[in-house]
Amino acid sequence: MHLKGLLYAAVAVTAISGIPLTGAARADILIGTAGPTTNAEALFGTTWQNGMELAVRQANAAGGVDGQKLVLERDDDGGDPKQGTLIAQKHCDNAGMLAVVANFNSGVTIPSSDVYNRCGMPQVTNASNPKVTKAGYKNLFRPIANDLSQGAAPAEYALAKLGAKKAAVVHDKQAFGQGVAEVFRDNFTKGGGTVTSFSGIAQTDVDFSALLSSIRAENPDVIYFGGVMPAVGLFVKQARELGIKATFFAADSAFTPDFIAGAGPASEGTVVSFQAPPYDSSPALQKFATDYKAAFGEEPGPYSAYGYVEASIIIEAMKKAPTPLTRAGIAAEIAKSDFDGLVGHVAFTPEGELKKPFLFLYAVTGGKFVLVK
Amino acid sequence: MGALILQQTINALTVGSIYALIALGYTMVYGVLRLINFAHSELFTAGAFIGLALSGALGVAGHPMGGILVGLITFVVIGLAGVSVEIVAYRPLRRTSRLAPMLSALGMAVVIQNAVMLIGGRRPLIYPSFLPSGVIELFGAIVSYKQITIFAVAVVLMIGLELFVNRTNLGVRIRAVAENAETASLVGINPNTAISLIFFIGPGLGAVAGVLYSSFYGVATFTMGFVIGMKAFTAAILGGIGSIPGAVLGGFLLGIIETFATAWMPVLTGGLIGTEYRDIFAFSVLVLILLFRPAGLLGEHISEETMVYKSDF
Amino acid sequence: MNTSWRGALALLVIPAMVLLIGQFLPTYPLRILDTILLYAILGMGLNIVVGYAGLLDLGYVAFYAIGAYAWALLASGQFGIHLPFWLVLIIGSGIAGFAGILLGIPVLRLRGDYLAIVTLGFGEIIRVLMNNLDGLTNGPQGISRIDAAHIFGFTLETPYDFLWLLVPLMMVVFLFVWRIQASALGTALSAVREDQDAARGCGIDTTRVKLVAFCTSAMIGGAGGVIFAAMQRFVSPESFTFWESLIIVLVIVVGGLGNPFGALLGATLLILIPEMLRAYADYRLLLYGIALVIIILARPHGLISRRYGPSWLMRKCAGGRGGDNAAV
Repeated sequence: MHLKGLLYAAVAVTAISGIPLTGAARADILIGTAGPTTNAEALFGTTWQNGMELAVRQANAAGGVDGQKLVLERDDDGGDPKQGTLIAQKHCDNAGMLAVVANFNSGVTIPSSDVYNRCGMPQVTNASNPKVTKAGYKNLFRPIANDLSQGAAPAEYALAKLGAKKAAVVHDKQAFGQGVAEVFRDNFTKGGGTVTSFSGIAQTDVDFSALLSSIRAENPDVIYFGGVMPAVGLFVKQARELGIKATFFAADSAFTPDFIAGAGPASEGTVVSFQAPPYDSSPALQKFATDYKAAFGEEPGPYSAYGYVEASIIIEAMKKAPTPLTRAGIAAEIAKSDFDGLVGHVAFTPEGELKKPFLFLYAVTGGKFVLVK
Repeated sequence: MGALILQQTINALTVGSIYALIALGYTMVYGVLRLINFAHSELFTAGAFIGLALSGALGVAGHPMGGILVGLITFVVIGLAGVSVEIVAYRPLRRTSRLAPMLSALGMAVVIQNAVMLIGGRRPLIYPSFLPSGVIELFGAIVSYKQITIFAVAVVLMIGLELFVNRTNLGVRIRAVAENAETASLVGINPNTAISLIFFIGPGLGAVAGVLYSSFYGVATFTMGFVIGMKAFTAAILGGIGSIPGAVLGGFLLGIIETFATAWMPVLTGGLIGTEYRDIFAFSVLVLILLFRPAGLLGEHISEETMVYKSDF
Repeated sequence: MNTSWRGALALLVIPAMVLLIGQFLPTYPLRILDTILLYAILGMGLNIVVGYAGLLDLGYVAFYAIGAYAWALLASGQFGIHLPFWLVLIIGSGIAGFAGILLGIPVLRLRGDYLAIVTLGFGEIIRVLMNNLDGLTNGPQGISRIDAAHIFGFTLETPYDFLWLLVPLMMVVFLFVWRIQASALGTALSAVREDQDAARGCGIDTTRVKLVAFCTSAMIGGAGGVIFAAMQRFVSPESFTFWESLIIVLVIVVGGLGNPFGALLGATLLILIPEMLRAYADYRLLLYGIALVIIILARPHGLISRRYGPSWLMRKCAGGRGGDNAAV
C-alpha cells in the first residue's frame, strides 16, 4: 500500500508541478481578463473572451502598440467572487499587466474592483448592475448600458408601440435577471400598465410548465423574461406549446442564433434588447462577424461584440498613452476615450459610465433578428 | 379552475417521471454500497450527449423508433462507463471509510462534467426530439404526446426494473448482496458481479433519462446534470433510499410538491410567498417527512433505539 | 513541564515565522495564504462534527453564510449600522451557533446519510433565503461597500493585514479544537462516533454531546464567515453554494479526518492545486478532478492519520517515544 501510495503521490506531484510559465515574453504587453468559462455561463464567458482575443489579434497584425506585441491572459473565475479577487490579485502582482477586462458578472466585479483599484489597474467591466460604479473608482470603466436602460426601453416600447396593458414579469433571481426585471416592472407600472405577476425562478430551471400554466390564466399582453440562455429559449418554447399568445421580451443574452434555433418557430415575434446595431448594418460590424467566424469557427456569442469593444478601448488608450506605458497613464487615456467603437460612440462620464448608452430593440421576424427601434 | 388543477397535475407527473428515472440510479447504488454516487448526474448528462451524437451518426433524429435504438445503445455505452467508474474509483475504496468513495465520486463528477464540456462544447445543443409531437385537449387542459410518452416510458422502465430485481435470478443475487455482501459470497454469489450489474443498470437508466429529458426540452448543456441530479437524489431520500418503489414515489412526489409550490403558493399566500420559495418549500417538506419517518416514506423503518449504527467514517 | 514549554514555543515560533515571511511575499501568494488559512479554520470547525462525532454535515456553508451576512448587515451602509469587528465576530458566531442548535435539535435523531441530506437541505434553504429576502439582504444583488475591519486601531485592508488576523485566530481555533478533542467531551464524541449504543450504555447523553458538537462547529463556521465578509467587503448568495460545503468536507477528508493538521494540509492542497493549474486554462478543472480522485485513492484515510494529531506532536517535542500506538 505504501509503495502504491507513493506512486500515486508522485503522479499527482508531477501533474501539478509541470506547469508551463506564462507564454508571454518579457517585452509583451499583457492585458488580463477573467470571466466564467466552466460553469453554466461558460458559453457567455468564453465567447466574450474570444471577442477580446480577436481585438488583440487584429491589433497585433497591425503592428501592435508602439512595436510591442499584445498578449491576452485569459482566466476562469467560475462566476465566484472569491476566485475573482484571487485572480485580481494575480493580475495586480504581474508587473507586465497593464489593463484588464474584468469581470463578466456584477457579483464578481464589485469585490474584484477593490483589488484592482488598490494597484491602480485600469479595469473595463462588462457587469451591468448599477451598483458596480458606485464606489467611485477612477480606474473602473463600463462601456455598456447598465440594467436601468436595458429594462426601461422594452417597457416603453411595450406600452407605446404595442399598446400593451397587462404584463407578466419573470426573472431568474440572479443579480442581472432580477435587476432588469425590476426596472421593467417599475417602468411599465409608471407608464400606466398593470403587472399581473412578478415571479422568480431558478437560473437552472428547465421546466416552466407550472409557472406558465398560472400565467396563462392571467392572460397578459406581454411577458418580460429577465434571465439568460438557455432558460429564456425553453421558456418561450414551452409558453407557445401551452398556447400563450402574449409577446415576449428578453434581455441581451437572447440575442444569439441559439435562441432562435432552440425555441424554433416559437421565437417568432420575441423582442430582444441588445446594445449593438445589427451585424449587417455597418461594414465594421459585418467585418467583425466574418472575422470572428474565421477565427473561431462559429457565430459570435451574445457578448462577443462587447468583449471586442472593451478590449479595443484599452488598446486605443495604450496607443495614445505616454511611453513607457503605465497603468496610470492608460487609465487616464481611457477616461478621455472619444472614438466610434464597433457598436457606438465611446466616451465616459466622470463616474466611468458611458456618456450615451446605446440600446437597440430587435424582434425575431422570419427566423432573424430585425431592428425595430 | 378544474382545468388548471388537471393541467398542473399533468405538469407534475412529467417532471416527476424524469426525477424518478434518475432517482433509481442513486437508490440502487445506495442500496448495495451505501454510497452517494455524485457521478450519477454527470453520467446522465453524458448519456444525453451520446444520444445526440448517435442520432446524428445514425441519421434517426426525430423518429420515435430511432429513439428506441438510440436509447438502447446509450444505455449500454453509459452502463459500461458506469461499470468502469466503479472499478476505477470506488472498488479500491470499498473497505476504507464511507466518506472516501463519496468524495472520489465527487472527483469523478468533476472529471466527467469537464470531459463532456471539452468534447461536446459549451454551447447549449439543440436536441432533436425523438418523441411524437402534437397535443390533445383534455377537459380544458393541454396534454402533449411528448408528456404522455415520457410518462409511459418511465413507468414501463420502472416496472421492468422492479420485475427484474424481484423475479429474476440476477435480481435475487443483487438483493442478496444488498442484504449482506459477506453472507451472499458464502452461498457462492460474487459480490463484484452483482455490484457491476448495478453500476450497469443504474447509470444506464440515468442515460436513458438524459436522452428523454433532452429530447423533451429540446436542449442539452454540459451543466444540466448537477441540479437535476441533486433533486433526483432528494427524491430518492424522500421515498426511502435503497428502495426502488420508494425512488419512484419520491420522484413523483417531488414533482407534485414543486409544481404545487410554483402554482399555488403565491395564490394561497396572497403573493406573500412567491414562486422563488419553491426550493425552500420542497426541502422543508423533505425535512418534515424525515422527522416523522426517519428512513423516508418506503424505507425500512429503523428507530434510533434499535438501529445498527457503528463507526460510519 | 518540559512538554508544554517546548510545545508552547513551537506554537508561537511557527506563526511568528509565517507573519515574518509574509512581509516579503507578493500580494497574490499572500491572498492565497489567507484563503488557505480561512478554509483551514472552517475545516477545523467542521471536523468537530464530521471528524470527532462522525456525523456527516453537508450544509456547513449555511453557518459560514450566517457569519458573513452578520458582518455585512452590522457593519455597512445597508442599515447604517457600523459595529466594531470583535463585537460582530461574537454576534456572528453566536447566531451561527444558535442556528446550529436549532438545526441540531430536530435532525440529530436521523441516521447518518439522512442527517447528511437534511443538513444539505438546510444549507440550500439558508442560501435561497439570503437570495429571496431582498429587503434584508438585497437578494441576488448582494451587499456591497461593507466596512473594513478595524482591530486595535489598525485597519485591515491588504492581504498582509489579514494575515495578522488569520494566523492568531487559526491558532486559537487550533488550540480550541485540540482541547476539545483531548477533553471529556472529545472522548464522548469519539465514543458516539465509534458506537453510539455502547456510548449510551456508558451513560453518555449522546443527544447533548452531539448538540454541543453541532453548536461549537457552527460557531467556528460563523466566525469564518465574518472574516470572509471583512476580506471581500462584498457578500452575495453565490459565495455560499452547495459546492462550498463540499469543498470544506473535501478539505478535512483529503487532509485527514479528526486531525487539525489534516485540515491545514487539506486546505493548502485544495486551494493551491486549482490556483497552480490556472495555466492549463480549459483543462484546469478536469485535471483538478483527476488529482482529487488520485489523492483519495492513494490515501483513502486522508494524508495525515488521525493518530498524528497535536497530542502526538507534543509528545514528539518532549522527546517521548511510542507516539504511534498512543490513542488520541
